[in-house]
Amino acid sequence: MEAMQYLSESPDSINSSSNDQPVSNRNLNRSQRIAEKEKRKNEAEDPFVAAVKYFSDVEAGTPVMGNDVFEGNLVVVEKVAYAEGLPPDAISVMLEFAMSLRMGTSLCPRVLKCLIPATVVPQDAVVRAVAWLGVSKIPISTQVLFIKWVLTVFDMIDAKDQLRAIYGFIFSFVTEENLCPFICHLLYLLTTKQNVRVFRIRKLLDLQDRLGKQPFLLHLLSLYKVFCPELVTLSVPSRMKRGFRNHNSPWKSALAFVQKKNSAAIAPSAGVTLTIKDQSNRRKRKHCHLELPVLTCALNKESQAELSSNRKLVPLAHLRSFAELLENMHRIELPAQMGSLLSTSVALHYLDCVQEESALLRLNFWLGYTLREEFLFCRDGGATQNSDEALQFLNRLLCAHQFLQEGFSSSEGFLYKFLTVWDGCLMRPQILGLLSNIPVVPSYKMGQLLLEPLKQLYFTSSPFFKCGLLECLNGMLRNWLTWHSVYALEDNMDISISSHTSIYMTLSGLKDSVSQLVQFVDHLAVVGLQLESCHSLLLNFILDFYETVCDMFLKYGLPLVVLPSPGVFYPALLATDPVSVDRLAYIMHRYKVNLAFAKSQLKITEAFRISRQTFSDFNHYVVDMVNFLWNAKAFQSGVNVQLDEGILQRSKVPECSTSFDLVYHPAFMSYAIDFHHKCWPERKELDLSSIKHVKPWSWYVEYLFSQGYDGLELFKRTNINRWQPVKGDKEDSGTMQL
Amino acid sequence: MSLLKPFSRRPALNTATILLVEREEEFQQRLAEVLVEETAVTLNVRLAKSLPLPFENQHSRPRIDLVVFIVNLTSELSLQSARASLKYLDPGYFLGKVCFMATNARNAAVPQERLDTLRGLAASLRCTLLFAEDQTADGATNASERLLTILKVAAGLVPMTTALYLSNLTMCTVPSNTNEVDFD
Amino acid sequence: MEDQMKSLLRQLVRRIPIRFLKVTLEKWGRLTVAQQQNIDFTQTKWALADELIAYSEENRLTLRHITELEMIYVIDNPNQGMWHAFQLVDPESDAPAVELMQFKEQFKSHLNELVRNVSVKMKKNTDEAVWIRIAWGDSCSRPNNMRPTYVVHYLQTPYVFVTRLTSKQKTLLSQAMIIATRHQAIKDAHLSGRNFSAIRDLLMQEYEQVFPAKYPSALVERNQIAALPNIEREQAEAEVNRLQMACEAFGGGKLPQLQSVVYKLETKFKDPSNQTFTEREKPFNCVVTFTSKNLLESLRHCASSGIASTPITPLLSSIPRRGRNYFVITDKVSGPSSQINPTV
Repeated sequence: MEAMQYLSESPDSINSSSNDQPVSNRNLNRSQRIAEKEKRKNEAEDPFVAAVKYFSDVEAGTPVMGNDVFEGNLVVVEKVAYAEGLPPDAISVMLEFAMSLRMGTSLCPRVLKCLIPATVVPQDAVVRAVAWLGVSKIPISTQVLFIKWVLTVFDMIDAKDQLRAIYGFIFSFVTEENLCPFICHLLYLLTTKQNVRVFRIRKLLDLQDRLGKQPFLLHLLSLYKVFCPELVTLSVPSRMKRGFRNHNSPWKSALAFVQKKNSAAIAPSAGVTLTIKDQSNRRKRKHCHLELPVLTCALNKESQAELSSNRKLVPLAHLRSFAELLENMHRIELPAQMGSLLSTSVALHYLDCVQEESALLRLNFWLGYTLREEFLFCRDGGATQNSDEALQFLNRLLCAHQFLQEGFSSSEGFLYKFLTVWDGCLMRPQILGLLSNIPVVPSYKMGQLLLEPLKQLYFTSSPFFKCGLLECLNGMLRNWLTWHSVYALEDNMDISISSHTSIYMTLSGLKDSVSQLVQFVDHLAVVGLQLESCHSLLLNFILDFYETVCDMFLKYGLPLVVLPSPGVFYPALLATDPVSVDRLAYIMHRYKVNLAFAKSQLKITEAFRISRQTFSDFNHYVVDMVNFLWNAKAFQSGVNVQLDEGILQRSKVPECSTSFDLVYHPAFMSYAIDFHHKCWPERKELDLSSIKHVKPWSWYVEYLFSQGYDGLELFKRTNINRWQPVKGDKEDSGTMQL
Repeated sequence: MSLLKPFSRRPALNTATILLVEREEEFQQRLAEVLVEETAVTLNVRLAKSLPLPFENQHSRPRIDLVVFIVNLTSELSLQSARASLKYLDPGYFLGKVCFMATNARNAAVPQERLDTLRGLAASLRCTLLFAEDQTADGATNASERLLTILKVAAGLVPMTTALYLSNLTMCTVPSNTNEVDFD
Repeated sequence: MEDQMKSLLRQLVRRIPIRFLKVTLEKWGRLTVAQQQNIDFTQTKWALADELIAYSEENRLTLRHITELEMIYVIDNPNQGMWHAFQLVDPESDAPAVELMQFKEQFKSHLNELVRNVSVKMKKNTDEAVWIRIAWGDSCSRPNNMRPTYVVHYLQTPYVFVTRLTSKQKTLLSQAMIIATRHQAIKDAHLSGRNFSAIRDLLMQEYEQVFPAKYPSALVERNQIAALPNIEREQAEAEVNRLQMACEAFGGGKLPQLQSVVYKLETKFKDPSNQTFTEREKPFNCVVTFTSKNLLESLRHCASSGIASTPITPLLSSIPRRGRNYFVITDKVSGPSSQINPTV
């Protein structure tokens, strides 16, 4: 009998026993019997099923040494595990077999190492195994291996509610010194707000006293602090050595292989996903934080449907469309790795509209940590920094920012630190992109955090960096203004800049910040033009910026008008390319429209008061511009540019004052010559002064407008009231009266 | 003790000379190779491990327009060596003709205090402090570009501006406290 | 015997990475060409071992053949495990005359006299080295082929390199070695490391040595390649001096890849601010370990770049000069300066 039983445990003996069966089952329906037989035969032919059955049935105390049946079965299981992964029930059986120590402790690691899930890991199995942890005498190294395994397959566990239910039980293992780091990581993944309790915090603090400031304890504590800041009074150092490492090494390659194989099988269904970009064959790196985990969950949709009745939470990874997101909004389960949220737009939608802050808190926590570790405190000194990984990571972060139309507060904090050690070149497009997305900075902080480092970078860098930075600051200003126009509440002038960063700022605060930013850029522009001898590309970026500035009132509803300094105005007016002059004219035109609107508003309410000085400065600019371009009376108004007659004479330019009108202006001279040829094709010699006669002058101006110089046309329309046909007469510029 | 003087010699036409002082003598070589690719001006690069410079070379040495101290932040010695070298410079150099270049600032092995010390040193001397990525070719190119920007001004090759003016704009400041980074 | 052969073969297959396996098998030459071509190297190690066992049985190979395979692999890939260097001292008059056959015979017979159950296999490599594989057993057990000791000896030199040797086996091996090579004694060279060729080259001084010269022309030339006209080194002379000193101390060109050096300090604690420790009678024990991928090159670079002061302290220059990487430093009885104690 003993021998018989022994035999029946080996795969081929089932075959023989099934042959014996019909004898005792004669009274069964024949067809049924055949079906039964067929099924058994199939099962019997599949050595894997038999092997799993062996492990579920094997009795405690069976010897290992020299047990070929056992060895054979384990090899079968291992083969399947490494080739295609184990199905959920096999995982349960094998885990139970290993953790119950039915055949001793030596096998446990070997079995654990082959637990590669094909689809999911049943939660019950994990819970039962955790229970075994408390009961049986598993060697500590094996316990560690088990927890590592749980951490590795965490996202494949089909539900976490029961695991969360035994949070306290899992927590009790932190006192075990060797297990502590891994238990902390597991707890870190399981913690919800309800789990944060005073006694647990006290326990962790006790442990910290005993073990020193271990990073795993600090991380768990800081997560507790994120959930319940009122309970954790500990100050978390700004720089933590190393977070939780990936412990997936024993399973990594096998898991990746199995997943790749399985995903290839179900690839067609992936077409609907909204993932921004999927990456494959990334370079392996130790302690790599930058790999944005792809939002995965091993459950496929069918099995999810089966389970949905008894499961309350829906993993975010299952949602394919915005509609599905809306349906399941109240029962989303967040993934273990918050970084994966950045990679899909559904997840970003969720972040955008979710009220509860924990998702955002966790994401910010993770992001802040990752950015700091990877870009501020690099272990290899930054040698691999320009790698594709880093760039892709930042690009994706940038995408997320642009999608949400706001920055994460952790990336803002990171940028402030990064700017102080930036060389101005490393990942420039990404850094400048992130920078232009930062929320409004209060003016009292702006100087030190933002402007000072930027200034030091700007003046020591090439003109191209200068242009890039100006563009970035232009974007920043536009974002701030857009937020203002979206969030501004008209009645009390209070705006909340962003729902998530919870910065509340008064209108005057915002006005201070914006005017500080504009003044800063103005300063950069003036000195930049001087250093780079009026680089025309730089000038264009400066004019870009002022195109945003001049329309702040009308376009974005911010009652603030800031004029450019003379150091910007005159280089643009006297620029050698017509485009700059034209853009300046357009900008002055928009200023005029804005100021006129402000003036009309002033009659209704006092709140939109624009200073008298602004009006006066504007008038001087307009007078000068008209005098230079139309009246040929350059350098004569003498308000902004006061040039000594002697200096002008020493330049030995005859008739200085006329040399910047539309005919002789270096930017327009070629048009004047062209016009001259067209107007008087028969003339042999060039006489540009003849354009200045009444009729040709008006034709010439029309000709210029027809060449696409709309800015000049608009400027003329809004600022020049009438035109005196007599040469030399003063043209009246449409100055503003207050 | 021989002081290095900024105006001891007459400048040569369209020429700029930069002195790179680095204790480790690693980055300076690469930097020099990129710097001399500049074609608009005649550029001389002098390399030194520390100051003072040997007396023998005094006659062959052109007027030095800009002194750059390269400080590797992972090494305390590097900072100490730069600090010790400062006293061999004529005070005239501190009117915009000295700058510091820090490497490895983003390395985890760098204690915050060392960076603060360097910042304080640069700020107290009203010098510019640049950061450079010495590990990558791009970093070296960019660093040399930025040095050229300063050097051209210091050598008087940029009209309308002086070294003192530029260094007033770019000199290092000591932030009061930006160390706390909140997690929220 | 059959079982031992199987398990040894299985262990070997597990140890040898797939990419080396094919070459090693070819070198071994005990399988027919057809068999070699039949082997599927993509299958798992377990199945591969099964296949090889089957072929071995087919070809009637014995344990000796399998140990041969192991030796081939170990000789080609010696950088596994810790190698310890020993030095034979006090040669007898006929020591230089020992040749391979005589050594082989003597060594085997002496070892067999000392231990009954021991299996020795010798192979002479192309570079004059004799590789000895010893599987130890004792009076009541068969030789254990799963954990053999490897000994490398260069004939006519006093150097012996050993890996995987227990202290009990050490005395036995020493005895047999002394007699077979006609020496009086053998002593520990205090040099060990994972990289076999590094410790061999270091001990046998098989690397480029640099001697003091008045005009260090070769070094200067090597140092000044790619000097661009507009780049001038202000302190070039001092630099050349440092490089010369560094090369004199550590050698020129490629240096042996020594990976670690250990200093055991048994000196008195000296710190004026800490009275308690300074006044202690007993020495303050501490161990300083330097590790690097190539320690000697790192040290040479430190010296040539001025990180370490020149002239180089004997603490560092002793590593190549005396060919050891384990030092015990004790206080000089009379003077305050520390010294390297030659006898450990």
